[in-house]
Amino acid sequence: MSITVTSLVKHFDNFAALKGVDLSVRPGEFLALLGPSGSGKTTLLRILAGLEFPDAGQLTIDDVDVSEQGARDRQMGFVFQHYALFKHMTVAQNVAFGLRVKPRRERPSGVEIKERVDRLLQLVQLEQLGDRYPAQLSGGQRQRVALARALAIEPRVLLLDEPFGALDAKVRKDLRRWLRGLHDEMGITSIFVSHDQEEALELADRVAVMSEGRIAQIGTPTEIYRSPANAFVCEFLGNTNRLACRIEKGGAKLGEQFFVAAVPSDAPALPGVAYVRPEDCDIHPEPNGPGLKARVLKIHAAGPAVRVELRRLESDEIIEVHLPPGSDAPEIGRDVALTFRRVRIFPAAGA
Amino acid sequence: MNPAAKKPRSRHDPTTEPGWVRWLLILVTVGYLLAMLVLPTLSVFIEALAKGVDAYLKAIDDEDALSAIRLTLFVAAIAVPLNVVFGVCAAWAIAKFEFRGKSLLITLIDLPFSVSPVISGLIYVLLYSIHGWFGPTLDALGIKVVFSVTGIVLVTIFVTFPFVARELIPLMQEQGTDEEQAAISLGANGLQTFFRVTFPNVTWGLLYGVLLCNARAMGEFGAVSVVSGHIRGLTNTMPLHIEILYNEYDFVGAFAVASLLAMLALVTLALKSLLEWRYADRLAGGARH
Repeated sequence: MSITVTSLVKHFDNFAALKGVDLSVRPGEFLALLGPSGSGKTTLLRILAGLEFPDAGQLTIDDVDVSEQGARDRQMGFVFQHYALFKHMTVAQNVAFGLRVKPRRERPSGVEIKERVDRLLQLVQLEQLGDRYPAQLSGGQRQRVALARALAIEPRVLLLDEPFGALDAKVRKDLRRWLRGLHDEMGITSIFVSHDQEEALELADRVAVMSEGRIAQIGTPTEIYRSPANAFVCEFLGNTNRLACRIEKGGAKLGEQFFVAAVPSDAPALPGVAYVRPEDCDIHPEPNGPGLKARVLKIHAAGPAVRVELRRLESDEIIEVHLPPGSDAPEIGRDVALTFRRVRIFPAAGA
Repeated sequence: MNPAAKKPRSRHDPTTEPGWVRWLLILVTVGYLLAMLVLPTLSVFIEALAKGVDAYLKAIDDEDALSAIRLTLFVAAIAVPLNVVFGVCAAWAIAKFEFRGKSLLITLIDLPFSVSPVISGLIYVLLYSIHGWFGPTLDALGIKVVFSVTGIVLVTIFVTFPFVARELIPLMQEQGTDEEQAAISLGANGLQTFFRVTFPNVTWGLLYGVLLCNARAMGEFGAVSVVSGHIRGLTNTMPLHIEILYNEYDFVGAFAVASLLAMLALVTLALKSLLEWRYADRLAGGARH
């Protein structure tokens, strides 16, 4: 069940939601579309579902061009952000809906529909609630009904639009772990949209980071976190420090260390930005030793890491460093030297 | 002696008016309602029974009265279902689809409300009478609109046009299209989506709109008066018949037939309140009109 998207473009009046997206979804994978609001991730998902049509580009499923097919015929299960459960039907009727509207020859018998509904309700752990109405359920329960309803039609692909967006933190964590378990058990290709990076990085096999209508980078969570391909991905994922620097001879110097930049080695000198994660920094208490000179401003020792806030002496930029818990932190006001284990350098914006 | 301690003020809630203002407002409102609504309605029944129950029943049993009642029912039985179909279609199109000219359509739907009923009747006379725009064509086809039942039905449709649509449009707009999109993604076609998803969500709003539409259809006077020609026994609806009786000084007769309409009004009011009480959240925006 592979999906391929080629050069997809979509405009809403004057707003360009997608500016040319290429994507290949592997069968059985759990893919996350991650990005800030307005990046186009929900639009892309809805085009995959057939709820919107692209202005240009192609969409193929298993090598069949489905760009012109409507949502009815695509056999995809869609889970909406606000569930979109049918208010006037019970839970069991909601789940059975997709089966009841099938054309006569494909429709299973009443008995079979009931059996399938019961099995699905068991799968989502809502067996006792078949006769309740959506208004009588909690948010997490409603989400599971929406999932069961989408799975009832045995879709080829499961599409989820910010499935946990409307739930509170504890329910969200439990539900997402459960969803991943379900995916592993069923092996169904799933694509979900999220603006919560922790969720995307935790759940997905691959993550496509989107920005302004394009895919900025696609890769496994480790790949995109440790090897971001551009400045946007760097800044969007996790905590990161930005240090201004000058790129010369294909790299830049921070303190005594020289790091390679993402530019060809014979490029002319230009201003750049070095991105360093707080956990990739080391503090050396001797200020005159090799390293970037900085002054300690604050220390937060309560929490999973010791967080030290410093000011870079030559530029007044604030740097945050995470040390393992229980480490000795230098005193506030002290000048220290910083060295880095892993740095990504990109040309400054506008350069 | 603590200088900061003062005698406490009279304990009334600082966010509302003092008691006497509230009572005055209530009195004025109740007084106005009594004078303008309750007493006149009561007087209809009092006058109707002024000469006893027999006279009352005789007035209603009169042949012209019965034919007026039949005509009123007939007109409502045609106007209301037609406006239901129209209202549902219009509300569906406006709430679930995007198209140019939508605001114009909504404004046009509200037109009968802003036009005086007498003008509405006059428009129909201008268009469909023998001297009107369509007059010669209709006459050639042998169709008589003005001064006939056809005209009364048409004019009643015009005047009660907006009720169902106005009730359904905000309701459907508020409900949005999420459920319909879900239905489509599950494989339902247009008709299935409408009957299984859209329609059940608006049943109570629809009932409410039908109630209002019906009350208006039966009680319409101005527009029908212009178009009907007042042919006793043929083109008189109940409101017109009441006017004729009153002009002939048959007060008991007039009030007797009027009491039937008053009873209809009371029943409509009761049903309306019941619907609002039970299903307020499923009526247009939960608003109580």
